[in-house]
Amino acid sequence: MRESSTVPEDVKQRLNWLLIFVVICFSVLVISLWYLQMIKGEEFKERAVENCIRSLVEDAPRGRIYDRQEELLVTNRPAVVVSIIPAEVNDLEKLSERLSRIIGISPEEIALTVKNYRENPFKPVKILDDCKTNKIVEIEERKDELKGVVLEVKPRRDYLYHDFAAHSLGYVGEIDKEELQRFGNPKFQGGDIIGKAGLEKYYDDILRGEKGGKEVEVDALGQEVATLLYQKPIPGEDLVLTIDRDLQLYGENLLFDKKGSIVVSNPNSGEILALVNRPSFSPNLFANGISSSDWQRLSSDADYPLTNRSVQGLYSPGSIFKVVTAIAALEEGVTDRKRKIYCSGSFELAGQVFTCWKETGHGSLSIVDGIAHSCNIYFYTLGKELEIERYNKYMQKFGLGEKTGIDLPAEAIGTIPSAQWKKREVKEIWFPGDTINLSIGQGYLLLTPLQVHTIICAIAADGEIYKLHLVKKIISADGKTVKEIKPEVYKDVGISINTFYIVKEGLRQTILKGTGWRANIKELAVAGKTGTAQNPQGETHAWFIGFAPYENPEVCITVFLENGGEGGEAAAPMARAMLEKYFNIKN
Amino acid sequence: MKEKLDKLTENLDYTLLFAVVLLSFYGLLVLYSSTRLAATEGSDPYFFVKRQSLWALSGFLFLTIIIFIDYHNLERYSKVIYLGAIILLIMVIFAGRSTYGARRWLAIGPFDFQPSEFAKIALIAFLADFLSKNKQKLDNFFYYLLPFAYTGLLILLVFMQPDLGTSLVYLAILIIMLFAVGVKIKYLVFTFFAALSSVPALWIFLKDYQKNRLILFLNPNLDPLGGGYNVIQSRIAIGSGGFLGNGIFSGLQSQLNFLPAQHTDFIFSVVGEELGFVGTILLLGLYTIILWRGIKIALEARDLLGSLLAAGAVSFLFFHIVVNIGMAMGMLPATGLPLPFLSYGGSFMISNLIVIGILLNVELHKIKW
Repeated sequence: MRESSTVPEDVKQRLNWLLIFVVICFSVLVISLWYLQMIKGEEFKERAVENCIRSLVEDAPRGRIYDRQEELLVTNRPAVVVSIIPAEVNDLEKLSERLSRIIGISPEEIALTVKNYRENPFKPVKILDDCKTNKIVEIEERKDELKGVVLEVKPRRDYLYHDFAAHSLGYVGEIDKEELQRFGNPKFQGGDIIGKAGLEKYYDDILRGEKGGKEVEVDALGQEVATLLYQKPIPGEDLVLTIDRDLQLYGENLLFDKKGSIVVSNPNSGEILALVNRPSFSPNLFANGISSSDWQRLSSDADYPLTNRSVQGLYSPGSIFKVVTAIAALEEGVTDRKRKIYCSGSFELAGQVFTCWKETGHGSLSIVDGIAHSCNIYFYTLGKELEIERYNKYMQKFGLGEKTGIDLPAEAIGTIPSAQWKKREVKEIWFPGDTINLSIGQGYLLLTPLQVHTIICAIAADGEIYKLHLVKKIISADGKTVKEIKPEVYKDVGISINTFYIVKEGLRQTILKGTGWRANIKELAVAGKTGTAQNPQGETHAWFIGFAPYENPEVCITVFLENGGEGGEAAAPMARAMLEKYFNIKN
Repeated sequence: MKEKLDKLTENLDYTLLFAVVLLSFYGLLVLYSSTRLAATEGSDPYFFVKRQSLWALSGFLFLTIIIFIDYHNLERYSKVIYLGAIILLIMVIFAGRSTYGARRWLAIGPFDFQPSEFAKIALIAFLADFLSKNKQKLDNFFYYLLPFAYTGLLILLVFMQPDLGTSLVYLAILIIMLFAVGVKIKYLVFTFFAALSSVPALWIFLKDYQKNRLILFLNPNLDPLGGGYNVIQSRIAIGSGGFLGNGIFSGLQSQLNFLPAQHTDFIFSVVGEELGFVGTILLLGLYTIILWRGIKIALEARDLLGSLLAAGAVSFLFFHIVVNIGMAMGMLPATGLPLPFLSYGGSFMISNLIVIGILLNVELHKIKW
């Protein structure tokens, strides 16, 4: 049946060659498969796993901050971030244009942000932080034509009263390179939000909590398919401050358009009830990264709104400092309750003439009257007789030239001039005239308002200086008290009760008949001292320190107005207003 | 008829048929694994498998019909078939449905089909007839160029769709059949160099996406998220399969949609990931059986026409297999050629089975009935 094939021999030969060619090609395929699957198999397996296992960090909610009545001051709120997942975008130009019409960022900027991001294409690239609600709704509505755009909810620090106590509260921000290096801690990663200033920085470890995280399996679109591992974040602990919200707000309104600070504290515990600094800023601007224009504006402002004046500002205390001179002189026996010194309006030392602020002179004065009328001549005399070495001893006793130890970062220490200090820093010997200047709080002396405040606290508490602090207690996220901050005696100045008695009398008389009369309150026995400090920056600084009630001090106050004029005229009325507010006195 | 059936059952190449049936089931299994989670086409996990099974059944129907028609009928009808293919391709250009910027489909009732697939078979039939009748004249160089003109017309028409991959298939079929019919090797070498030197000129005619594919083939890491993405993900999938694979339905890349076109052009990657080296070698083994039987049929054919038909059928399958697998492994540029019996697609599945029908036909008719 089978007829012989008529296929030509040369064709058969060619077909055999074709068979050989097929075998060669298949061999190449087999060898390649061997290489890819058998030799490189493990490596590719890892890459496959890497492809679809993602480690996701879950940030811990940052601790909240309350005032002393546990009124909420700082919390976290969900902020919506608009992002683009590059891998899901078909036409970037078109998408940028559509999105631009909603969120108002130029299409070029959107496209560039996406293009410049060259990491994982499934990771969302942030386009707009903290999107407004009406825009969110619009994006949701147009979801279909905005493929690749995602809305992510991220916690954002929310300072409920904006610039309220901004310098104390501080602000948060993304960890920077330098901080990452310094902390060198596996706990931190780029992009973490940490405290950058104020209490946010000082108590960062407590507020921050501990990050959680999970390992998830994702599909090609980066959508989670399964959770493989989960560790719950531990929320940060909350701070309850010693600050009284209402008193603080009242103080901030008093200083509304001024430069300066007000400190109110309890001399028997060190609890700070109000720490006002003006001008101020809103920490909300920093919450998720401050814009460069905002930063430019704040950092180049000639009034330094970012500076915490009460803790970092250094100023001449002026006549406030006469109380220290008085204490030193009384303790060293240079003067006593009875000694009278005559003020003619001027004072001469080694050919140099020093004047009293009252040109006609005060006449004959006791130490109580000297304090009450803030007579320069009286204190020149004490300073001259004390001499610098003995005088310095008392500055040290009050802890001046040291940090007060308040729970805020970057506290300044100031300048306490002494003979050695002058030799070292100014390369000059100490002249008696320097002591004269120092005796009325002028010259080289520079203190922070908070240091000045410790002086009045020490007097009010008869020598015990309690450590000034802003945090009353720490509570856990579920409301349990973790730690209560107990009053701590920071320093006992070691000065006789009799001395304090005399100085306090002087302070009381200041209010009743002296320079501080504007701080007098009928219903309340106030004691205090005014100060008007000359300074190279221009207009004098106005100071007032005081406490009340006179017999049994509950509260100490320091008012400082930078270039604010006369202490008695400008600062004393503010102290009066603050005290009226505190003691709930209406007039 | 009884006699015919007896002869059929007696002379059928069961090895080839068995390999094809096995391969079809293998393909359906892998297709199920790669599409069961695709939510885009409704919730039926068998959606793709059901459709592909329908195509396969139709394909076997075509195969059966073709077996009964003596291939010598081509001596009369080959020109008609060729002309039919040309008309269909022209219709695509004017009335075709386009997807992804390419016009490739013609609607026939509820079905879409790709005339360019059937043109492959038409080309095999036409060239087999033409070359077998004119074997002697092909020694003349100008006569040798004639089949290039015929094929060139088809290439031009699919190139306008545009479909670079398919036009390369036509060219491969032509070259292998010319080689088989015994044209002078120096002619083929000359053609090769002539083609090579015309590449820069042809470059102008390529669409941007085609140029990109060629550039990305040379360096897929140039754009790992765009065009090069497929190839990188595919290599990861195949490689991660290792010896035994992750198990069917368990490929990380396949099941999590990292592989684009994983049920069509990149289905080999699913085989590689889920069934490992064992699975890919099994697949290549089945292909080897088919190609080996195909060449054997060509060698033992009754006449030159049958031999060339078989050679054409082999060249069609062979080129698709090598280019598709080579592409999945990143060894060849991504030309978008599907993998015989595995890739999802009706026209392609049917044309694969028609080609097998041609082989079985040639085998059956090596004796006179």
